[in-house]
Amino acid sequence: MCAAAPEPPSRCKTLEVSAEAASILLSFAMRESEAPAVELGGALERLSRGLRPLEGGVAREMLAEDVAACVRALQFHDRLIQQLAVIRNLLTRLTDHPLPQMAGFGAMRWEELLTALRERLAEHSHHELFELLLRTGGVAPGAIAEQAEGTSELF
Amino acid sequence: MARILAVDDSPSMRQLVKLALASGGHEVDVATDGVEALQVAERQQFDVVITDVNMPNMDGISLVRELRRLANYRFVPLLMLTTESTSERKQQGKEAGATGWLVKPFDPARLLSIVAKVLT
Repeated sequence: MCAAAPEPPSRCKTLEVSAEAASILLSFAMRESEAPAVELGGALERLSRGLRPLEGGVAREMLAEDVAACVRALQFHDRLIQQLAVIRNLLTRLTDHPLPQMAGFGAMRWEELLTALRERLAEHSHHELFELLLRTGGVAPGAIAEQAEGTSELF
Repeated sequence: MARILAVDDSPSMRQLVKLALASGGHEVDVATDGVEALQVAERQQFDVVITDVNMPNMDGISLVRELRRLANYRFVPLLMLTTESTSERKQQGKEAGATGWLVKPFDPARLLSIVAKVLT
């Protein structure tokens, strides 16, 4: 595809690596959002179980309606994941590189990925792309992602 | 109370379908794709099967087709629960032997009423 395109090779290569990086970021984000969705589903299940022994009444009915509303709303996560998967697959088609396995995708794997991408894109102008990767979905070298999440800092 | 097999590759969707059906007093087993569902269905008898369409290994339409080949699932209600809503896909489901086509997101009460309807 790139050989026939009119763009200079460097632009074409940038496009390909950008598409690859975007598909990896999407996969990473999708994987990251799965556990909280399952956790929320589990919490709803426990809430629903807790509702059953309660006596009937307005409060119980309202709670049951709220659980039902959560069940409806949480399904949009699944729909979003499906739409993102389609976009990810389209992006992957733009590259010659298959998606890496996302299982256990931590700081080490992220560094490996960045190194591989850097080898193919050595120009200074491509630093922006790597900055984006590091900011959006990446794991800082040597850091454990979970340690930073949910923390706060006052200055 | 019915024994229901819910098939979906999404863990959260499996949970939500199970939660909705269990709230109506049904006993629910789950499977992650068509292949696993077929294996489970061959070992146990279910009163209703509710399946997603797009899944790895074996999709929902193929699962319905395979289940209809089993003598003990010839008349069991098989419902598709999916984000897909095109008439072409629905027709494929119907031709495979599906009893109904539900488009996500589902409403728990509506799902229970549909299950009750196909069981009568």
